[in-house]
Amino acid sequence: MEQADINQEMEQVEIKQENITIVETKENVEPPNKINSLKSLGPFIAARDNSKNTVYLSDVPDVCKEKPCMLGVDEAGRGPVLGPMVYGIAYCPLESKQVLEDLGCADSKQLNEEKRDSIFDELNTLDYATSCVGWAVEIISPNVISSSMFRRTKCSLNEVSMDSAMGLIQQAIDAGVNIAEVYVDTVGPPEKYQEKLLKRFPNFKITVAKKADSTYPIVSAASICAKVTRDHALKVWKFPEGLFIKDNAFGSGYPGDPVTKRFLTEQIDAVFGYPRLVRFSWSTAENALADKAYNMEFDEPDSEKPKYAGTKLTKFFKETTKTGEVKRVECRLFRECHLDNVVDF
Amino acid sequence: MSITLDFDVQQLDNNKRPLELHYLPAKIDGDGECADANKFFNNYTQEVADYGPGVLTNCLRGYPLLGKKLQPPEGYKGVVLQETDPSQTNRQLRLTGTFKDFTYWNYDKVPSKGDGYQQTLLALELAEALAAPIDESEIEEELKQQQETKKENT
Repeated sequence: MEQADINQEMEQVEIKQENITIVETKENVEPPNKINSLKSLGPFIAARDNSKNTVYLSDVPDVCKEKPCMLGVDEAGRGPVLGPMVYGIAYCPLESKQVLEDLGCADSKQLNEEKRDSIFDELNTLDYATSCVGWAVEIISPNVISSSMFRRTKCSLNEVSMDSAMGLIQQAIDAGVNIAEVYVDTVGPPEKYQEKLLKRFPNFKITVAKKADSTYPIVSAASICAKVTRDHALKVWKFPEGLFIKDNAFGSGYPGDPVTKRFLTEQIDAVFGYPRLVRFSWSTAENALADKAYNMEFDEPDSEKPKYAGTKLTKFFKETTKTGEVKRVECRLFRECHLDNVVDF
Repeated sequence: MSITLDFDVQQLDNNKRPLELHYLPAKIDGDGECADANKFFNNYTQEVADYGPGVLTNCLRGYPLLGKKLQPPEGYKGVVLQETDPSQTNRQLRLTGTFKDFTYWNYDKVPSKGDGYQQTLLALELAEALAAPIDESEIEEELKQQQETKKENT
């Protein structure tokens, strides 16, 4: 029995060492600055700080600077409790729509992982694609998602999303893309989103629609870039917490996935909660922590102050309690400096 | 009831292994286990120039934190004491370690003089004014001055 335990321990030690050597060799290789194939996507992401956002823009094909272009926007990984959310854009000249169809950028929801990977690879390797289609992604770190949503003045996921989408469009403009039409996929109400985009980019023809990725091939292309990036980001996720999970098997990140569920129950730290792969602002995470981790209370987030803040008339009747005791208000100096009498400690 | 500080004063100057401490803006409803800050927290601390020099950022359970390295007030030493059994009438506190600085964290607010912690430090000045020993000569000096002002007023 004991012998078996020791053997197991040795095995674990060996596995750990293997992992370390793998990490080291990876770090010795110069991390790629360009994503020019599916193969370079993983190493590119792995070399970035996963507690921060990462933006990547492909080279802008020359025709996209001259001819009017359409640009599609879509996101991947909005719902899961684990991992980054990825925003993607893709653009090409209006006249090159056929190229997208040749690449197979149809309804991206109908494509399986393998097909998406191969389209992404072709998009970055085949001449007829790289000469007229460009793309960009922003990987929004789960750490940034949680901390945005938990700010004193809360920033909703919708705001985070819109900022990311508009940021990417702006970067494409700055890189010289001649944008004429913009197509955006949305989960929320399209009208409000469209209005906001038009305000920021009044010169474009903007279309915001639900399930735009199945209607417009350019949104489909954006969707493929976003989804493939999100999948790879999870695959190459290196826990800054030093955690090793075989094959990074933490499931899809959807609360219903049993593998994700297991991850969420097994990886709880009583004080810190979870490694920062987890979005703390998701109710799934909050509920799991409420049961199993120490309760933690922060200052109240800033709430709107009542408009009238003067002395209330009733104050003058409140200084004594019902039994006639006079309540003494602490001297202002002490109150403001948070000082108090302490007898027991 | 008595409280004994059960350690050698010389240990206070032993700064070979200073503790790394975090002052957190949250009430944590737990006791006992030592939090593994090296695993979950320290490697995420970053200095971000946007908020001014020396301002650090991190997150705790997804809540954004802004922090700064602070030292104990001048003339004071930082110590961490631990008590094994607080229910006894004769309480005993042992020295866990000393620290020269600690990281003060606010919840999404740049640390400033307006923070509760920095305001409370006024207590030290008050204590000093109330309890510092006074030299005989200082009393005479004070009396002299009082008499002089009396003369001037009359």
